[in-house]
Amino acid sequence: MLRGKRRTRKSYFDYSLMFLIIFMLAFGLLMLYSTSSYNAAIEYGDSTFYLKKQFFSTLLGLFVMFVVANIDYHKFTWTGTVGYVVSLILLFLVMSPLGKTVKGARRWIVIAGISIQPAEVAKISIIMLLALLINNNRQNIRKLSVTAKLFFFCLPLAACIMLITNNMSSALIVVGITFVMLFVASPKYNHYVILGVAGVTVICAYLFMGSGFRSERVDAWLDPESYASGKGYQTLQALYAIGSGGLTGKGLGQSVQKLGYVPEAQNDMIFSIICEELGLFGGIAVILLFLLMIWRFLIIANNAEDLYGSMIVIGVMAHISIQVLLNIAVVTNVLPNTGVTLPFISYGGTSILFLLTEMGLVLSVSKRIKLE
Amino acid sequence: MFLSRVKLKENYRTRIYNKKKLVVYFFVMVCIFLLLCVRVGYLMIFRSDHYTELAQQLHERERQIKAARGKLIDRNGVVIASNETVCTVSVIYNQVKEPEKVIQILSETLDMKEEEVRKKVEKISSREKIKSNISKETGDLIRSYDLDGVKVDEDYKRTYPFGSLASKVLGFTGSDNQGIIGLEVEYESYLKGEDGEILTQTDARGVELDYVVEGRKEAVPGQNILLSLDVNIQKYAEQAAVKVFEEKNAGYVSIIVMNPQNGEIYAMVNYPEFNLNDPYTLNYATEVEKGSTEYQDLLNKMWRNQCINDTYEPGSTFKIVTATAGLEEGVVTPESTFSCPGYRIVEDRRIKCHKIAGHGSETFVEATMNSCNPVFIDVGLRVGPERYYTYLERLGLMGKTGVDLPGEAGTIIHKLENVGLVEMATMSFGQSFQITPLQLLRAVSAVINGGTLVTPHFAIGVCDEEGTLTDTFSYETIEGTVTEQTSEIMKDILTKVVSEGGGKNGQVEGYLVGGKTATSEKLPRGNGKYIASFIGFAPADDPQVIAICLINEPEGIYYGGTIAAPVISSLYEEVLPYLNIKKAE
Repeated sequence: MLRGKRRTRKSYFDYSLMFLIIFMLAFGLLMLYSTSSYNAAIEYGDSTFYLKKQFFSTLLGLFVMFVVANIDYHKFTWTGTVGYVVSLILLFLVMSPLGKTVKGARRWIVIAGISIQPAEVAKISIIMLLALLINNNRQNIRKLSVTAKLFFFCLPLAACIMLITNNMSSALIVVGITFVMLFVASPKYNHYVILGVAGVTVICAYLFMGSGFRSERVDAWLDPESYASGKGYQTLQALYAIGSGGLTGKGLGQSVQKLGYVPEAQNDMIFSIICEELGLFGGIAVILLFLLMIWRFLIIANNAEDLYGSMIVIGVMAHISIQVLLNIAVVTNVLPNTGVTLPFISYGGTSILFLLTEMGLVLSVSKRIKLE
Repeated sequence: MFLSRVKLKENYRTRIYNKKKLVVYFFVMVCIFLLLCVRVGYLMIFRSDHYTELAQQLHERERQIKAARGKLIDRNGVVIASNETVCTVSVIYNQVKEPEKVIQILSETLDMKEEEVRKKVEKISSREKIKSNISKETGDLIRSYDLDGVKVDEDYKRTYPFGSLASKVLGFTGSDNQGIIGLEVEYESYLKGEDGEILTQTDARGVELDYVVEGRKEAVPGQNILLSLDVNIQKYAEQAAVKVFEEKNAGYVSIIVMNPQNGEIYAMVNYPEFNLNDPYTLNYATEVEKGSTEYQDLLNKMWRNQCINDTYEPGSTFKIVTATAGLEEGVVTPESTFSCPGYRIVEDRRIKCHKIAGHGSETFVEATMNSCNPVFIDVGLRVGPERYYTYLERLGLMGKTGVDLPGEAGTIIHKLENVGLVEMATMSFGQSFQITPLQLLRAVSAVINGGTLVTPHFAIGVCDEEGTLTDTFSYETIEGTVTEQTSEIMKDILTKVVSEGGGKNGQVEGYLVGGKTATSEKLPRGNGKYIASFIGFAPADDPQVIAICLINEPEGIYYGGTIAAPVISSLYEEVLPYLNIKKAE
């Protein structure tokens, strides 16, 4: 405006988001160390075992993020289809001898000594694919048939994640991302309200009328204290951790529940330890930080140069928001227990790597925002 | 072709409705996130106490701090049961890092079999006790190895500085410091104290976290009990008992020394005693294997306190009771005369006097001095069973004495309706029924103290470390069970028994002693086994001390007057000056 020239390319970069990401990563590493050091020292004789692995994944992720951020996202259009096919292949590979079982769940494959969780690849792939497809079907997106056709792309992935890796939460996230992206892309509301209600009904029916294993999980969800030694154990331990935190928490490093009481404390349940150590203020601060991040996504998406970029950011936004929501809802026993990690904070190399790749894409989109 | 399909068709702009819908989504998310904040807030504010408490229950382990057991202190402040610090070694299964080393070191230092230690070390439990009551030095030695998962806790062990002194009275404690027999059992609730506890936090594996000690409840030590027992009198009594035990090769010798005015027991000896610091070893050699049931039976036998756990036929000492009944009933006076032909025929029975030729004509006083059975048969029959039983009742002979020791035996006696002339006749001189020595001592005390039936007892009260009473126990006394007059007469008669009659050997130079001897033939009759006894009190006019001596199954001469009376006499020679009792002018 000041220069008076509309097409002047002032290099924009969403530093707020970048600092949020870096802050979140640093905070995540700190909490990861606090949470995992005691168990790491006992299990591996090295209190920094988890920290080191996560630190290297984070470094690698940051590198990828900066590379991606500096590449025009239009050059990644191919990743949608390629990623989609690759993630399907990777998911099938879980059944092959390359597959790896960790703590009873077969969700990983090991290639050249690096273990990868295909579900994480699937999440970024579906975002890239849908962004492309929505852009290409821009003209007739309001048609139910087109919406339905696009929606069906997520189903093979979700089905594979669900059936092969028995990972309901990741499947849910993939479906959720698709739903949100289509919802934003389409001018219609009613389709999505119907679809949304139907989806929730199906999930509820699946949970409540499912086989014995699942209904026990639901019972444990409704009354964890009665299933303290079984299905309700992890949830109950998380509740103990959250509850014993109180307003101000026990102080950093002072959690008792992390001393083996909360299973997988550094993974899915890390939020409970954050609450125990940092109290209600810490817990709410983390939630607000994510909200802040989502708000930055909103700003970037709505100011993106084009629909494609916007849809990428919306996909990432959907991914992060759904995953945070699911994680915290599970930890606080609002939803039945299902293994889902807290983005940026939970332990998990594949997760952090692909999350940072997504952040790179978002930053790349933000770079092309034209300031007027 | 593939690539062409992945290309962007066109570069569309974002529409307004896209932006609007994204804002809608954002606000839905804001709402959901805020609801999650509310949920977290609810959990952390309103459910905080609930979950904190549950979490604490989960995290905290209690560890006991043993309370020091109260001491037993004699009447002069001498500690006769005390505590020493010992250690208990235990292992925490999931903390043990080098099980083999632990097993080896523990089995060596604790002198235990390797398999035994191994079994305990390898047992999956949060805490397994390996051995308790080991010395502090051994405990410190094990500590010095600094083995992971091996805990050495300090504890108290009961010690008895005088070893076997009054063993059957004091009793001892078991591995958990609980009383097993004797006063240790009787006053368990006072002595025990209250164990404290340390609350420690543990991780999920049960490992105690040394740095987080949540709370500590201090142990409350047990209360000290001040006893009426006097270590010196007990020693004198034991020496006297040992002497006669050896001379007569007796089965056992019992001596009780009591204050007849208030029932305080100064000494209670049942020789042979046993070592209180090693109560699970028999005090004689045996071939019975330790640990066998038979051995345990022998131990139980060894631990018996014959003065209160066993009954016997009192014999002639019981004539004191018959005489008292006769005098009280007015059926006899000291001057009443009797004649003894050497026997008395009651119904179809001819009951002999111990002097077969008979005592001839004699007064009641002389008859008592002579311990003449026919005279006492007459007196007993004159009183009659019903009246006689009321005197037994009054003198506490029908019930237990209420002494503060566990396992007191009761009277074994005919039912009143079954008492015929013969039974009455034999009871008059102390046969055909059984009582404990302490019952007799208590009854005689009432006769000579002016008629007050006291409760024999050991514990005076609760005292502090210096032996100063802080709480005095009260014991039941019943006054007026015998009239003053009868009491005075009885004292006179019994003094004569010692000064001129059958109890001559019970005399103590410079003191006026009253008493009565007895020689009871043990059942079945004719087996040649006797209990020789003597009951004596001094000074005879104002009794301050009363004592009974029983010699069970003496060899050779078995007359109470010959062998039991000198025991009390020699005891009194020490005890009377010790108690500062003035000599008679």
